Order: sequence, then C-alpha cells, then structure tokens
Amino acid sequence: MSKGSKHKVKKFGMVIDLDKCTGCGACMVACMSENNVPFKENESKKLDSITWMRVYKLENGKSFPEADICFLPRPCMHCEGDRGHAPCVSVCPAIATDYDHNTGIVSQIYTRCFGCRYCMAACPYHARYFNWRDPVWPEGMEKFLNPNVSPRMRGVVEKCSFCHHRYQLALDKAYAEGRDKIEEDEYQTACAHACPANAITFGDLNNKKHSVYRLKKNPNTFRLLERLGTNPKVYYHSSREWVRRAGDNYLKHEAAKA
Amino acid sequence: MKIDRRNFLSLGAGATAGLAFSPLPWKLMDDSSIWTQNWPWAPVPTDGEASYVDTVCSLCSGGCGITIRKIGDRVVKAEKKDSDNANSGICILGLSSPQLLYSPSRIKTPLKKVEDKWVKISVKQAVAEIAEKLKGLRKDKLSHTLACISGSSAGTVPALFERFLTAYGSPNFITVPSVKDIYKLVFSLTCGASCIPAFDIANSDFVVSFGTGLLDGWGNPAAAFKAHSILKDNKKQLIQIEPRLSNTAAKADKWLPIIPGTEGVLALGMANVIIGKQLYFNKNVLFDSVTEGFEEFKALVEKDYSLEAVSNITGIKQEDITALAEDFMKAQSPVALFGRGEGSTPGSLHEMMAVNFLNALAGNFNKTGGVYLLSEPDYINWTHPVLDDAAYYNINAKRLDGAGEGKYFLAKHLLNRLPEVVNSSKTSPINFLFVTDSNPFYTMADTKLVEEAFKKIPFIVSFSSYMDETASMADIILPNHFFLERYQDIVTTCGLKPAVGLSKPVVNPIFNTIHSGDAIISIAKALGGTIAESFPWDNYETCLQETLEAKKDVMDKELFWIDESGVSNAFADSSGKFEFINDKTRQTKPYIFVDAQGEKKKYPLTLIRFDSMRIASGYTANSPFMTKTVADTVIKENDIFIEINPKTAAEYNLAERSKALLTTPKGKAQVRVHLYEGIMPGIISMPSGLGHTGYDSYLTGKGININELIGQIEDPASGFDAAWGIRAVLARV
Amino acid sequence: MDSALIPEGVKRCSLGRFSVWILALTAILLWGVIAMLLCWFKGLNQTNMNDAYGFALWIWADLAVIALGGGAFFTGFLKYIVGKDELKNIINYAVIIGVICYTSALLLLAIDVGQPLRSWFIFWHANVHSMLTEVAFCLSCYLVVLIIEFLPLLFENPKLDKKPFLRHLSHNMHEIMAVFAATGAFLSFFHQGSLGGVAGVLFGRPFAFREGVFIWPWTFFLFTWSAAACGPCFTILITRLTEKVTNKKLVKDNVVDLLAKISGWMLGTYIIAKIFDTWYWAAYTLPKQGFSLIDFYSNNPFYGIWILVAEIVICGIIPAAILISSGGRKNKRLFMTAIILAVIGVCINRWVMVLQTMAAPVMTFEGWFMYYPSWQEVATTILPVAYGAIFISFAYRYLPIFPQERELNPID
Repeated sequence: MSKGSKHKVKKFGMVIDLDKCTGCGACMVACMSENNVPFKENESKKLDSITWMRVYKLENGKSFPEADICFLPRPCMHCEGDRGHAPCVSVCPAIATDYDHNTGIVSQIYTRCFGCRYCMAACPYHARYFNWRDPVWPEGMEKFLNPNVSPRMRGVVEKCSFCHHRYQLALDKAYAEGRDKIEEDEYQTACAHACPANAITFGDLNNKKHSVYRLKKNPNTFRLLERLGTNPKVYYHSSREWVRRAGDNYLKHEAAKA
Repeated sequence: MKIDRRNFLSLGAGATAGLAFSPLPWKLMDDSSIWTQNWPWAPVPTDGEASYVDTVCSLCSGGCGITIRKIGDRVVKAEKKDSDNANSGICILGLSSPQLLYSPSRIKTPLKKVEDKWVKISVKQAVAEIAEKLKGLRKDKLSHTLACISGSSAGTVPALFERFLTAYGSPNFITVPSVKDIYKLVFSLTCGASCIPAFDIANSDFVVSFGTGLLDGWGNPAAAFKAHSILKDNKKQLIQIEPRLSNTAAKADKWLPIIPGTEGVLALGMANVIIGKQLYFNKNVLFDSVTEGFEEFKALVEKDYSLEAVSNITGIKQEDITALAEDFMKAQSPVALFGRGEGSTPGSLHEMMAVNFLNALAGNFNKTGGVYLLSEPDYINWTHPVLDDAAYYNINAKRLDGAGEGKYFLAKHLLNRLPEVVNSSKTSPINFLFVTDSNPFYTMADTKLVEEAFKKIPFIVSFSSYMDETASMADIILPNHFFLERYQDIVTTCGLKPAVGLSKPVVNPIFNTIHSGDAIISIAKALGGTIAESFPWDNYETCLQETLEAKKDVMDKELFWIDESGVSNAFADSSGKFEFINDKTRQTKPYIFVDAQGEKKKYPLTLIRFDSMRIASGYTANSPFMTKTVADTVIKENDIFIEINPKTAAEYNLAERSKALLTTPKGKAQVRVHLYEGIMPGIISMPSGLGHTGYDSYLTGKGININELIGQIEDPASGFDAAWGIRAVLARV
Repeated sequence: MDSALIPEGVKRCSLGRFSVWILALTAILLWGVIAMLLCWFKGLNQTNMNDAYGFALWIWADLAVIALGGGAFFTGFLKYIVGKDELKNIINYAVIIGVICYTSALLLLAIDVGQPLRSWFIFWHANVHSMLTEVAFCLSCYLVVLIIEFLPLLFENPKLDKKPFLRHLSHNMHEIMAVFAATGAFLSFFHQGSLGGVAGVLFGRPFAFREGVFIWPWTFFLFTWSAAACGPCFTILITRLTEKVTNKKLVKDNVVDLLAKISGWMLGTYIIAKIFDTWYWAAYTLPKQGFSLIDFYSNNPFYGIWILVAEIVICGIIPAAILISSGGRKNKRLFMTAIILAVIGVCINRWVMVLQTMAAPVMTFEGWFMYYPSWQEVATTILPVAYGAIFISFAYRYLPIFPQERELNPID
C-alpha cells in the first residue's frame, strides 16, 4: 500500500462519555428503529432479546449510601484484534462476518450466515444476537420498516453494523453532489445521532479532524476488555475510577490501567 | 423386461447414483438456500423516495424539534432535528413515534359504546350525537354540568375547548396539573407578578436539585440532558438530594440521600446556615433593597430550623448541610431546582417555596446560570366568545373543583379534587365529560376512587388516539389524529426557556380520525346559536393560521418561536422586590411539609414512585421498543419489581426476586423484590407508568400502576395533590 | 425367517425377540425424531439456548461423541500402522462405533445450525481460518473413510457375500485397508485437534483460550491425545456392554487388555500434559488477562473446583493408574471402573470446554450464565444413542463383527 492511499483508510469508532450517559435508552430505540430490529410481546427474557445497542447498568458494589451506578451503552465493538482478526471474524466458517479494512467495520451477511453461532461463542461482549424465532411485526407496523436494512430471518446471527447503510447513503449523496469525501457529521450512527445527552461521539479514529481522534486520547478513556487483545474501536470515558476499573478484569491487588 | 426384486433394487441403485451425479441435487440444494433467504413470511420493506420533514413532537410537554424520515408515504424514522436551536432534540419517546403512529392500539374510527360493546360510527354521527346530548343538557339549564379534562392549558386546542365550555356555559374546564402549576404559584406569590421560571442549568456552576429528575424526564428531557452535558463539559457541580440513587443522582457529583418529604426542611436549614453566617453578603446584594419580609423569614428559620433539628429530621449530617449551604453560596451562579422526579405531581407549595428561598438568598434571579422569570407565551388573541343568557348565567356557577375560591384561592384548576367531589354527591355533579389529550383514569392517584367517579359520570366523550384506560370508560370516542398527522401549536413552558412550536402533518391521517380542534369546532357548529357564533373558523387549520399570523414567518422557517422578551413583569407589582413573606403567603402559613399517608406502626415502610425515561407514565404510553429497553429487574414477564435496600429486605426475609405482597392504605399488589444498595433503608420504590389495562398486548398487564397504591394528599397551602409516596408494608409470599 | 442373513456359525436370538428390542429402541428414536422435527420446523426457540449460550448441549454432545468415536482411528492406527495384529479382533467394532459416533455428530450439527438448508455454505464459502471449517472438512472426509472401512464388513453379510462382485470388492478393500487406516488417522489427528482449537482459539473467552504453544500444538495435541486415549476405552465399554446384553464373550481378554494398556499409557501421558496446560494457563495466561483460577470456579451454583478435580484427578490420574498397572487391569471391577471413569473424564473435558466457557462471565459487570437443556435438546441428544443401539443391534445380528465369537461361543 502506498503512503498516499494509506490516508484514505478509515477506522470508524466511537467514544462514549459515561459521565454524560444518563441511561435513558434513546440509543437503543434509535438503533432498533433504524435497523428493523424485531420485538416481541415479552422482552423481559434478556438473553433472548435482540438489542444491538444495549445499555448496561454497572454498580460499584458498595453499600448505601456509598453505592453508585453507571450506565454503559454497548454496541458492537467492531474489534480490530490483531490486524483485523476480530474474535468473531476469524471463527466464522462461512465468511458471513467480515472485517472491512477500509472502514474498520465488522459486517454481518444475514443471507450467508447459516446460524452456527460460533461467532457468539467468540464474542466476549455478548454483542451478537441470534434470531431464535421468526420476527413478527403486528399488522400495520411493518410500515415503519426501513428499506435500507433488510429484516432478518430466523436462524441467523445479527449485530450492530455501525449503521453501515448510513455510510453508504452519505457516500451516495456525496457522489451525487460531485464530492469524493464526506464530512464528519454526514455519517453518524443512529445511536450517536439520537443521543440526547451527546454522550456518543462517532467518527474516523484515523482522522485528526474528527472529534473521536482527540477524545480517545483523554487519560480517562478506556476500552472494554482491552487485556484480551480484542482491540475494540469503541472507547469509553469516565471520570470515576471504579467505572474505568469495571472496563476490564484486574487481579485483586493490581492497579487499573492509568 | 420382467421386473423382479433383484433388478428393481439394481434399478433403484442405478437411479440413485445417476441422480447423485446429475445437476439435480445441487440445483435443489441451491434453490432451497435461496428460498431460506427469501422466506415469504419475512417482510420486505417497500422502497420509495426518501424525504425528510421537520415537525415538533408533542408526545410530552417538551415539544422538541424533530425530523421525520419518510420513504414514499411511510414514516420510517424519527430523528433529532439538526439545528442549534435549544428545542431541537429527541428522546426515547420521540424516537418511538413511528411505532406509535402505526400502533395496533390506535383507535381507527369513531366509536360508540352500545351495551358495553364498541360500535363503529362515522365522525358525522358522533358529532351529531354529542351535540344532541349537549342540547338537551342546555335545555335543562344544566350547561355547567359539562366538564372538560384537558392535558394542557396552553395552545389553541385547549383554548378551543375552554372557549367551547365558556360559550356553552360551563366554568368547569380543568387541566391535568403538574409541577408547572406549582412553579407558577411559587413565583407569582413571591415575585409579585404572574411569571414562569426558566432554570438556566447549562450556565450554572452549582446546581442543587431537591429531587428534581433532571435526567429522569423532568421538563424537556432532551434539553435537560443537553444542559447537563454542558455542565459536565464545563466541569460544574450537580448535587442531587433524594432518597434514591436515581439516574440523576448517579450522574451527580454528589448524592445526598434524604428522608423523603423533608426536602423543604433541608432548604430552610440551609437558609438558616446562610443567614446565620451572613453568606448572602458575599453575593454583594443589598438585601433590604431587593427583598421584603426578610426579617420575618430570618426569625422563622432561626427559631425552627436549627442545624441540629434539620439534621435529625432530614437524616443528613450537620456538616453536610453546612458544607452544602456554603458551597452553594460560594458558587458564582448557583441554582436550586425543585419539583420531584419528572414533575407529574405538583407537590407541596411550601416545600417548593422553601427551596426557592435559596435562589433568592443567592440573588440569582434573571441572571446567567440562575432563574429567569419569564412571561408565558401569550399569542392567542381571539375575540371573546359570544355568550347567550344561558351561558352567561351558568359560566358564573361555582367551579366543581372549588379552585380559585376560599382555601383554594391560589389554584386555577384542581383535577385531584374531582373524584371526591363526584363521589360525595348523590348524583354526579358532572353530567357530561370531555377528556382530551389526557388519560386521567390512569394517571391520577388513588385509582379506586377515580374509577368510582368515572363510573358515576353519565356520559364521557374521549378524544384519545389510543384505546387507553380513560377511553375504555368513554361512551363515545372521537379519536384525534396522531401528532404526525396534524397541525398544532405546542407551547413549552417546563422549567426551561418557553417556546412555541408548530407541529405539522408529516403523513395523511392513516385512519378515520379527526383533529380534536376540528371536532370541537364541529360540535359547536352543530349546537348552533351563540355557540356556533363563537367559532367563526371553518376549521382548525384556519383558526391556527389566523392565530399565528403574526409569527408565521418565524415558525414556517424555524418550527419555533422562542419568547426571548425576557421578563417579564416580575417584581413589577406591589413592593417590586422578592417577597420572602407577604400577606398572601401569610394566609398559607404555617409551613407544613406534606407527610406520607398511613400509620407508621401498621405500615413501617415508605413507598415512593420513581420516574424513568424508559417508561412513559403520562398520556402517551410506552411503545414496544421502549418496553424492550426496560431492565429485567423492573419487569420480568408480567411481574413488577420494587426496589429495596438489602438491609430492609433481610428484615422481611426477602431475597432478590422473591415474591412479596405490598400493602398500602390504598391497596394491595403482588410484587417481586429487587435488592438495590442505592435506596435508603426503610424506603421502597416502584416505577411509574406500568400496569396498563388499556393499549395492546405489548403493554397491557405488565406490572402494576403505582397510582392504585398511592392516595392523594391535598396540599393545605394550594389544594394540589402533594403526595410523594405512601406508607407501606411488605409480606413474603 | 432371517436365518439366511445371519452369519454362519453363530447363534442369534429369535426374530420376534429381536423385533421387540428394536421396537423399544425405535420408540426412543421417535421421541428424538419428533424433537428434531420441532427444532427444524419451529426453529431453535425450542431449545433453552440463548444469546449467552450459542453453544450448548449439542455442541458438547458433538465434541463428546467425536472423542468417544476416536476408538476407530486409534485402533486402526494401532493395528494397521503400528502392527498390533491382535486388535483385528476388535477393530470391526471400533469402526462401527466410529461410524455411529460420526454420523451422530453430523446429525446433531444439522439440528444445531439455525439454517440447516444453508449448512453447505461451510464448504462453498469456506473460511480457512475457522476451526469449524477445518472440523467440517476433516469430519466429512473422515466419515467417508470410516464408511469405506465399514463397507467390507457389510459385504461379509452372508447374503451380500454371495455376490461375486461384492466379495471381490470386499477382499480388495481389505488388502488396502492400511491405506485407509492411515488416511483416517491423519484426518483424525487434524479434526480432533481442530475441535480442541474450536474453544482454544477464542481469545475473547479466557476460560478456553490458550496462548502461544499452548494453543498450537498443545491444545490440538491434548484433544487428539485424549480422544486416542478415551476412544478405545469407549470401544471397550461398548464391547463389554454388548457382551452383557448378548450374554456371550465376544472378544478375548488379551485383546481388550492390550488395548486398555495402551489407553492407560495414553491417558497417563495426556493427563500429565493436561496438568501442565492447566498450570500454565492458571499461572501465566490468566493473570495477564486479569483473572485468577478461582474466578472460574466460584460465585456460581454449579461450577466449583470439584469439576477440575473430577476431570483431572478422579477421571484422569486414577483411571490412568489403574489401566497402566497390570494388577489394575486384571481386577475386573477396578478395570471397568477405570474404563468408565476415562469415558466420563473425556466427556467432562468436552463439557467444560464448551459449557463452562459460555457460563463464565468475561465482562466484569456480567454474572455467570446458567443453563439447563430443554426436553427437545435432551431428546435429540438421546436420539443418537437410540440410533446407535439400533445400528449395533442390526450389525451384530447380521454381520460377523467379532472374529473370535465362533471360537468363544461354539454352537453344539
């Protein structure tokens, strides 16, 4: 790869400010609405509830009144692993999930996936979801389905795509307008765009002009399970030490990453 | 050839082998896979041209500017409108609007109840039947027995309803109360003029919130979130005072758990510290010149609100109270927030006033980062309705809820008094009830009492878009368009800068529904006479166009018209100063902070409600997507969880997920237990917004409506409902 | 009635009795078939699997039967490659058990995938980096080898043997069986190892993940070695069970003793390697990722340190010691205990590598995930057992599986 073309390689990622995240769930609904995520009458069985974006509630484990909680939105981390070897990508036997080296997005091809769920076993973030049943939209509700994202059939795995179709739409628009580049705000994931607290910042981690480039360098920034070598592209920021520590596993007397 | 067993087998084997080497199996294999990729029962969204339409969301009182993404004539997505405007934003509820638009619980056509069954009728027929009934009532000189419960008092649609009642001859236009009513009261009483507050949270450097759910649905949630994020960016402080580690408390720099109901005591205790240490001098304010009644106030707090007493009552350490008071006064632009949770219950007037005294001591009125006192948007300048004699006579009849008179002299509407008034009379004093833009049967405390009252009212007309609890009790339903199908002016006055927005139709009405504005105009026209004369507009749209004529340009371009005229006429009347104590407030004395209902001995625990962004608890109910986001420690299958401190749970022999019977003086419910270290021992909390009996299978029957367990407590000072909880007891099942 | 089909010189029970036995097994089989059809037509919501348990009972059963079916390749390897000729007296049965195990594994996989009609994508769109692809290819190839190894035996059925073509084919195949045995052993080394890799390469799952040499070749080696050690034990176990059911001695003690002795040594060496692996994992790999050993054996209602002790000591060291010592092998009761323990041991190993891997939390704010299978999962897992029993029953009745049967059970 020549040096010139190297600059064109994008690495989309997120920085989520946990000091700002209020746990309101807007990102979850924005995601479900954008991506035609199915819903059922009973969604209280959380291990059978498709939420590409899931907001976890972390507790500091202390007693009243020292108790503290923190919300942590968890999309797919779009792990880069070692040069694109995301935990899930290398295990998929049918190349139904792939790491795009031009964008850093881990894709999922629903029509290719045959439902072996090896990728789910591989993902430590539980970011992958299986369609245990046929999705059903009550009569009339199929009207709000987004034509840019195909609804999934039963028996396949699905997950957050960083709203890849929105990237395509932005590129198409730029192309139509005779531009070869898109601006930072032209491609935003549904969750980042919706977040009422502006807690989610999305952009190209390689691009110095993008906010994420600066934000990820904050010393209070961490990633989930970095020690496993997953090399995720979603960064978190928290001013609370216990939250940063909760981002990874540490031995009892070990200090958390500075 | 003779076919015997032998060559039959050979033939079979040969055929099998032949087929295996033919393209057939491979073709079948491929085709079957292609079939699985295009299962006929999996929906394929129809494609079409994409377009974006801006409108204003009216699903809560926030009134956010949003953008709707359409494909052809379908709404596929609601998004935040990209704009610098403070009112452009979206929350989880607004994001749900496509689902709510196409919801199976939408009422698809006007309905009439015949022998307890719904019969479809036409709009025309519904209007005619309503007019017929109302004519009869008027003939019997009972026009004042028509009442209307409206979700809001601001904007043209509520104004049309109110106008209808006036022209018809009834004073009984009642709005659903909220903390906004108390805000108006607090400032009107102490600042000498009718004004509403706008808390400048984003620019403050020290926000003390007395249980205000800044991040739990208060005000305009999207704007409140934004303000909070700016606080965080600027590294400014937020202190949250409440018994439960709410989402707001969790984000705060400090959470001070307090015994619920004693927030006003804490505020007065802080005032005592501030006055005792003369910290208000730091503010460089010549106190006497801008305040009135200070000496009397000083004497009061010194006498009854010593540090020790306040600490004992509130459960907060003396040094914490002192530190909080000092930090508050040390800050450049501190602000004290009041109104519990999302603000759906008005609350105790004295408590709110007590907190607001802190704002007065900090001298932060009409200052950046403080409290702006603004006038309410006032743009509806219609001519007075025409009244005939019958109307003129009855319009001056006493209001059923007693508001504006005697001990209720401060209140304008008192919906909370209605059930009792209806239930205590032999026959219902209301013969005919309009319910618009609200679901009072569900949202009012003490469900049993409310149900009794609603059952007693002979005729109810609901204008609801959904088969909600109140609509289910109606006799005729004239379903309103969903907000994405209609024009409407949306007035936002919820603790942030007031604004008027214009909701515009994004799609044609998908069902046989009618705009409530049009419905009331049609009913007026059907009644004829002066009533019809009072409604000179052909339809709602012309009425709205006329009303907004002056602001048309702004609204067409921006969606919003923000009233920046500032103050307002605050401090314009009488003394021209902030009045700690004046003649009016003296009438409401002594300071009483409302306690929870129930005997402590019989009910040793206290149940409080908590509001969550993920559960809509007002007129609009949860979308399936929203319910999907609710944690399994809040709802599991249909069971609701109460939060309880593990210590308290141990006393009742309750473990995580155990089933328990929750009893309050108002009712009983089976619940499950979720152990939570973020709640004060002795307190249990339950989310509001669950336990619906109306709507669809995605919501019906999930959990308990907390209003079934909580009663009303009339605030002695204002008459509003001031209940913040109720005493309770748990028993293991 | 079916006497023409029964091999010469051996005695079989009456057709009536046989039919009753088969019918009973068929009933169980049908139960499994119903569950299987439910899974195919209604989808995998029929199981208790969930988004935390993408892999569950079936994948364990797959790994377990493939390990237990390892008797086929290893016995073949010993007989044809190493030259332990006595083993010809048990190799037929080992092959049959292998065929059953491997077909069962494929059947379970076909139920387990969400889109069975697309399962051929694993070959068509193969990802060479995936362990599962490697497993699928080797498994399928090896199954073909197993069937080839089985065919000559099938052709020895008296009725089929009468056809000259089949007799010649059978004879010629016997001649070159060493080639197939070698191929089988080669393929098995691969897919048994790859199955170890299935969990071992999951670097997002610290319970299963092994680093550096401990993934390749160590984990691969461990899986192949344990299958080679415990597969023959399973062959012995089924042989003894068959003897019990038929009430006949079918294989001479010296044959079983030889196989068991080799198994004992295999198991012994395997367990040493396994202990070394566990030690390195606990002492070096885990701490680097912020875990300590006890994290994976505490704070949950099931997975205690007992399971590690059970796998390594009770079902590893103890049976190895018994099988290595000739005294242990001579003591019938001890011998059978050792054989059963070894079989259980390899099953526990496969269980923890699949299910405990899924159960253990990785993110600090998640807890252990517990799971129990639904009846549909249990029924479909028992299905292969019933199918295997039926297969064996027919094979035993109509094929000369045991060369020593006539000698050991002369007909008067």
